[in-house]
Amino acid sequence: MTSRDRCDDEPEKGKGKKNVTDDASVSWRKRKKHFFVLSHSGKPIYSRYGAEHKLAGFTATLQAIISYVENGGDNIRFVRAGKHQVVFLVKGPIYLVCISCTEEPDDALRGQLELLHGQMLVILTKSIDRCFEKNKKFDMTPLLGGTEAVFSSLIHSFSWNPATFLHAYTCLPLAFSTRQAAGAILQDVVDSGVLFAMLMCKHKVVSLVGAQKASLHPDDMLLLSNFILSTKSFRTSESFSPICLPRYNPMAFLHAYVHYLEVDSYLVLLSINSDDFYHLKDCRIQIESVLVNSNVLGEVQKSVQDGGLHVEDVPVDSSLRSDSPSPHPGQGRAALASRIGGPAGLWHFIYRSINLDQYVSSELSSPLNSSRLQKELYRAYQKLYVSMHDRQIGPHKTQFRRDESYVLLCWITPDFELYAAFDPLADKALAIKICNRVCQWVRDLENEIFLFGGSPFSW
Amino acid sequence: MATSGNNSINAKLVLLGDMGAGKSSLVFRFVKGQFLEFQESTIGAAFFSQTLALNDATVKFEIWDTAGQERYHSLAPMYYRGAAAAIIVYDITSTESFERAKKWVQELQKQGNPNMVTALAGNKADLEDKRKVALEAKNCGAPVQEAHTYAEENGLFFKETSAKTATNVNEIFHEIAKRLPRAQPAQHPAGVVLTDRAAEHSRTSACCT
Repeated sequence: MTSRDRCDDEPEKGKGKKNVTDDASVSWRKRKKHFFVLSHSGKPIYSRYGAEHKLAGFTATLQAIISYVENGGDNIRFVRAGKHQVVFLVKGPIYLVCISCTEEPDDALRGQLELLHGQMLVILTKSIDRCFEKNKKFDMTPLLGGTEAVFSSLIHSFSWNPATFLHAYTCLPLAFSTRQAAGAILQDVVDSGVLFAMLMCKHKVVSLVGAQKASLHPDDMLLLSNFILSTKSFRTSESFSPICLPRYNPMAFLHAYVHYLEVDSYLVLLSINSDDFYHLKDCRIQIESVLVNSNVLGEVQKSVQDGGLHVEDVPVDSSLRSDSPSPHPGQGRAALASRIGGPAGLWHFIYRSINLDQYVSSELSSPLNSSRLQKELYRAYQKLYVSMHDRQIGPHKTQFRRDESYVLLCWITPDFELYAAFDPLADKALAIKICNRVCQWVRDLENEIFLFGGSPFSW
Repeated sequence: MATSGNNSINAKLVLLGDMGAGKSSLVFRFVKGQFLEFQESTIGAAFFSQTLALNDATVKFEIWDTAGQERYHSLAPMYYRGAAAAIIVYDITSTESFERAKKWVQELQKQGNPNMVTALAGNKADLEDKRKVALEAKNCGAPVQEAHTYAEENGLFFKETSAKTATNVNEIFHEIAKRLPRAQPAQHPAGVVLTDRAAEHSRTSACCT
């Protein structure tokens, strides 16, 4: 097997893999996307591939490049070398570098480096910077012991989880009353002195309540759920762990009580007190009994089985149904497309509510059913997102783009952002009509697919 | 603290030791009767409870399986404070883990409850051919550490264990249960009260000092 055949974004399996390769090995050099974290003295802290301690020469080179530019009173942002991009992010004494030939925009890669740094803060807080003030040559690697899976899972999520570039979270679809029932009991425990109470199913929110004036940033939710989901030890029993939410307070640890209620459903209770374990445990017992009695957990399981929104279900009237005779060119293909995917060749969409900081994404179905196609689509959306939010030439309101893979349509208003992918032969006017239908459909369903907090979140 | 009433004792027990020594594996073997060849690292601390019936009493252990990574070291007092018992675990194939265990013993002697029942567990006893920490002085090659004398000198109760083969795992918990002080005046019914918040904050506000 050549390294090119390897799926670069599969989380690494097995132990010991890290010790076999260094920067001289061919397989290491063929990797499509490298992530490095190093200290300002050039010491390796983290590398996605290869053993950190064997990469000291390589990270020293990266450090030399960064400090050469810094000495000139400037900051290096990125370097293009052939088909490779090298993107830099300096965070105080910690340097983050991505080397990639995936053709992702450098702003997108920088966003990923920001999240990687945030994940490090989740584990150690920003007070780690002080260790470098005391000792320039401080070695940070031992402090990250046992967290390999957390970082590889985060990097993997850059290619499947749109929350990583949308900066929004998504909810598990549930009947309004079910989510309300969950929210009410979470509110009760928050009133008893808990800072945040979250009921999650994988990376989707079932319900979430924060203490008065405390708000949870979607990026913190992403990093927290990634930390929990990628750490198997949380699944085995009740856990109590210090964690930091970098957007909430990068300097301080909160104390997280984590307990899985079902296979993929878990409760997270965050407190500022390190001696709150028994209180949080009592809260969990109370929450669990309410959730079981009101069958919220049953509804959660049912929702997981049913899946979310399907493009096939976008309601359209007969004039828009492409399997009825339609006058636009390429109608044969469009009719065929209607049988796979939604109306007018709609394959997929993401709707992001700006006020709620939440998004809803349709389920991936035929013809986008392989993880490779899914990854390509998300990278295309990410590119679209970056181009729409470009500070120099944007922001823009709409974009219609056709290439050999899809038609992509993006529409941004003060209330929402819509990203949609259609069959490459889809008709433009029809696609725009369908986008309007999708937005109307999402608004009709908003009570089930979004979380409306009792107290307003403002971040 | 161990609290008792009607011959039932609630005891907080904490496991301490280097990363990879086998703390979680020992707890898993004791609580669930299982062993995982590739046990993932514990994050923070995991909480388990398990009840043991002895002839004279029922002991309900509230077990804190702490993470062995360095970054959690400064948080350890919040887990061992108020503990009635501790098991300090090392890996018999690693002298480093034995050195780490000695540091934990020192820390508990300085900071811990003086009545704490402390056990030293030399885990991975099934890996005899990779042994680096000797059991008895007579096996002792020059560089090899010797555990038994160390335990005796420090008043620790000592066993070599194997979570994989289950050797001495139940025994070590049973022995601790037997040694727990009986008929103490009942304290907090829920088991443990963690106090001294101010001191706690100074310890936990930073990941390292």
